[in-house]
Amino acid sequence: MRLRRSSLAGPAVAVAAAVAIGVLPHWLSNYHRSTGADVGVFFTAILALNIVTGYTGQISIGHGAFMAVGGYTTAILTHDHGWSDLATLPAAALVGFAAGVVVGLPALRFRGVYLALTTFAVALAVPQIAKNYPGFTGGTEGLALPTHSGLWLYRTAWVVAGIVFVAAWLLLRGRTGRAFRAVRDSEVAAASSGVSLPVYKTVAFGISAGVAAVAGSVYVLVNNFVNPDVFGLQLSLYVLIGAVVGGLGSLWGVLVGAAFVQLLPLGLTSSSLTSSQLVPVIFGAVVIAVMALLPLGAANLLHAVLHFGSRSAQSADVPLGTEGR
Amino acid sequence: MTRRMIGALVLAVLVTGAAVATAAFASSSATPGVSKKTITIGGTFPLTGPAALYAAIPKAEFAYFSYVNAHGGVNGRQIVFKYDDDGYNPANTVPQTKKLVEQDHVFAVYGSLGTAPTLATRDYLNKAGVPQVLVATGDSYWGAQYKQYPWTIGFQPDYPGESRVYGQFIASKIPQAKIGVLMQDDAYGQNYYNGLLQGLGDSKSKIVDVEKYDSTATDVSQQIVKLKASGANVLVLFSLPTQTIGALVVTTKIGWKPTTFVNNVSGSSLFMYLAQQAGAKIDGDITATYLFDYTNNPNAPSAKLYKSIVDKYDPGANPLDSDIEYGFASAWTMVQALKEAGANPTRASLMNALTHMSGWKNPFLYPGVTMTTTGTERFPIDQQILEQYRSGAWHPFGHIFSKAR
Repeated sequence: MRLRRSSLAGPAVAVAAAVAIGVLPHWLSNYHRSTGADVGVFFTAILALNIVTGYTGQISIGHGAFMAVGGYTTAILTHDHGWSDLATLPAAALVGFAAGVVVGLPALRFRGVYLALTTFAVALAVPQIAKNYPGFTGGTEGLALPTHSGLWLYRTAWVVAGIVFVAAWLLLRGRTGRAFRAVRDSEVAAASSGVSLPVYKTVAFGISAGVAAVAGSVYVLVNNFVNPDVFGLQLSLYVLIGAVVGGLGSLWGVLVGAAFVQLLPLGLTSSSLTSSQLVPVIFGAVVIAVMALLPLGAANLLHAVLHFGSRSAQSADVPLGTEGR
Repeated sequence: MTRRMIGALVLAVLVTGAAVATAAFASSSATPGVSKKTITIGGTFPLTGPAALYAAIPKAEFAYFSYVNAHGGVNGRQIVFKYDDDGYNPANTVPQTKKLVEQDHVFAVYGSLGTAPTLATRDYLNKAGVPQVLVATGDSYWGAQYKQYPWTIGFQPDYPGESRVYGQFIASKIPQAKIGVLMQDDAYGQNYYNGLLQGLGDSKSKIVDVEKYDSTATDVSQQIVKLKASGANVLVLFSLPTQTIGALVVTTKIGWKPTTFVNNVSGSSLFMYLAQQAGAKIDGDITATYLFDYTNNPNAPSAKLYKSIVDKYDPGANPLDSDIEYGFASAWTMVQALKEAGANPTRASLMNALTHMSGWKNPFLYPGVTMTTTGTERFPIDQQILEQYRSGAWHPFGHIFSKAR
């Protein structure tokens, strides 16, 4: 009974969310469609971070750098080599995967805050590297890309997000996901059970970075512009905040996390109630409030709602998707 | 489920739904942003973040529009000026500019600040046929690339135009010059340097040393020491405010006394004051300006008008902050363009007005500096005067350097 409920509820929620996202643009203005596309970009990026941080336990606060890698791949291939923009997405995923594997190497030796600082350094360095090769990246002046309608951007961002979501779900529910979680929960136990730490850590970084790179590609298409400032530190931090708000180690809260980091600051800025100097303060206060109310993120809340009545209270502490299947 | 979780669920739903559900108001008139009673314009500015010192500019512009509105507006319409904070980050500028155009239905994007933010939105606005006017950045792209981007136009003199003036002055007035240049190693520095070479003409052989610094480096001591060692007696700074202040302080510390040129965007009285506080001897330093000289003409009509508007519409602002002067001069230009765009302005008629300035006399510019543009000459302000720093203020001297294009 219990297994049945949980195995049906998840896909049901996913299908309902997919339908809602699919029909939503009919009631949105062109502007809100591109805002919706931005939410889709963050959905993909947060999901990417979740793979390496939430599931594998390797903290990264530099995922903006991988988005930059993907964004520049798309920009350079379309701007200088005449690729059609959608064709660049697989290329961005490959380049991002390679970058992720390279950055993942320190993860073999560093843990916790030391690894976090390493990824932080990468986030700081990548925009500077882009600045130093203007012939290749357009430098500070940047590169402009073709513009698309809000509807095209919305559909592209969410189709990509949907594909990535399904792929991640398939990956994480199986053998690989189990290995990732084993690494996260206890490296010693994982290794003694035959899980190769070097392989799974670098693979997790690579996959995560590849997905983040695809998010960066779509981000660049939505903005139709790229320069180093687009991929500043703020981007990395927002992806991290979105992952924590959504719930680390679960796929189901990602939508809430994405909407949170993308729509809340925008809503505050547009609101006449707040002066712009207060926006970061309010945003920060809300983040703290959400942390206090939902320490395990939105996924945990969703889980509790879905299992209301059928599960004992202790179930609320286990985010959906991390429980053993 | 606990009560706290219900509360959190409500919060999450509210947060998710709030911005998505905002209703869009469609404009009924033929020209977006223009109604019988109002004309709506908007721009993006760094109200927070690394360039937040410039936040005084949109506030001053808002104050000037308020003053104009209190006196009947433009052709019977009140100006509605919406400005958003992009934190000097193009990733914010793009969605905010889209919002101004598609949500707020602005008539034109006006005064948006910064080179990168302007570049980030230039394609979008030009494809949409939305004027991107009087942008607050001195790169030469806006005037030079008008064929590709006809809906974009700048305001202030471009960087090469400014450094050309330094070059001309050095060539004609400092015959024994041995020139050392400190420049930022990017397009900004290169823009300035190219203008200097043009202005120097045959005298460019008098450049004895050029030292570059990376835009992320804040310490330029090494470069200054090398420039001194090169035997230069003229120092030209093409740097950002932080590096400029550092360069001025180090120059004093190592006992070097060259004739120093400071570029306009780093030469605000505020930055000079900071340099002086840090121990720099800056009397005699030279920069270029195009704004009215309020310090030395406190009783001129322009100065009185300026002060009365600041007092009434921008209280709390420091009237000596040159960014306020800049904001007034820019807003005056926008008002003049809206007037000339006609009783029923269109986006095309606004661009027509801005590209056919017939020697406009802007009261907030230096007397004698006029604004002229044509279909093919799109640098609104092309005249400047040199000024020298003495006893805590800039003092203009000599003649106005005119178009040298």
